[in-house]
Amino acid sequence: MALLRMRNAAFSLGTCSAGPVTLDVRPGERTALPVGSPQEAAVIALMAAGIAKASSGCVLIGDYDPRVQSVNCKRIAGFVPHEPVSVQERDFAGYIAYRAALWKVNTRNALAYAAVLRERLADMHEAFAYPLIGALIGMPKLVVLDRPELAYAPQILAVTETRAVFSTHTNAAAAHAFGRPHALAMTRA
Amino acid sequence: MRALTAVVAARLYVQRRIVLYSFVAALIVGSLQPQGAVGPILFCSLLGIIAALAQSPGRSPHLDRCEQSAPLYGRELARAKALVPCVAAGLGALVYAGAALARGAFDAPLTFAITLAAVVACTLVALSATLRQGSSRGLYVLLACAASAIAYALGVVLHVFAAELAFCVFVSFFALRQYGEALARYDPI
Repeated sequence: MALLRMRNAAFSLGTCSAGPVTLDVRPGERTALPVGSPQEAAVIALMAAGIAKASSGCVLIGDYDPRVQSVNCKRIAGFVPHEPVSVQERDFAGYIAYRAALWKVNTRNALAYAAVLRERLADMHEAFAYPLIGALIGMPKLVVLDRPELAYAPQILAVTETRAVFSTHTNAAAAHAFGRPHALAMTRA
Repeated sequence: MRALTAVVAARLYVQRRIVLYSFVAALIVGSLQPQGAVGPILFCSLLGIIAALAQSPGRSPHLDRCEQSAPLYGRELARAKALVPCVAAGLGALVYAGAALARGAFDAPLTFAITLAAVVACTLVALSATLRQGSSRGLYVLLACAASAIAYALGVVLHVFAAELAFCVFVSFFALRQYGEALARYDPI
């Protein structure tokens, strides 16, 4: 069973449009989607995480439709935005406690897991590491990355472990670094 | 409850400057205009509208994204986001009443009760403006002012506090419901 299924999924609102996209992401798979513009990459990532609703076509996250069961979708998919966050080192524990409360996970366990992840992402700038750690403490089965930094590809993929990963990119080199080459072929309808 | 507390605490922390300035302003205005209910209702309603508009999407992008990607129902998020400006404006009203009491306004506790009811109703109506643009945004701000004016007329001009309270509870209930529905339909793009 695919964790993420997109069938001709497109978004359109005013001048903003994205897709259509058709793809499947199965448990443990890493799929990278190169697209033409940053805006399109952001919108497709938001649709894949169940945050934005497709204007046409179909998106299913673990058999749940984000239009009617968005809470179930968000328990499966963890979203990592492209923009860095301005959380300082001293606010890290507070940030993790905040994310743990939103995801209703045990704060102590979340802090312990976050500390382990922080250690594994020691080479990564905290502005990019913290949102990733924040997304992973919710134990998502699918990690959705909006235009992740190419320079941090090995670290990001290492901490996602066996989880399925779906990422959007605006350049082919980054897409190759984050997804298996065959994944690039099964993208746009 | 954890999520509600986390959202309220995080938003108040991010907007601590606005909250602090509003307290200072309430202290000054309360000292200058300690008598009567016009000053506190007008001033604190304005604080409520400003605090409500400060919850507009885009003002705290990372908090917005965390809340949107968290597995929270629309009503949970609406309650939490509605509580933030209500707390800020309510505390502003308390500071105002404290300053008025210190200047010898012995009816300040009753004025505080009348003000609090009006401010909460006004703030909750103004919250719906945060999810709209253009003229409809302005219309909701005008509606918020109208709610405050009607509360003033009932509580101060007609001296029917029970009617004012009933009106404010009625308006607050429907405003919060309306905000929750708008938030559930809201697309972050």
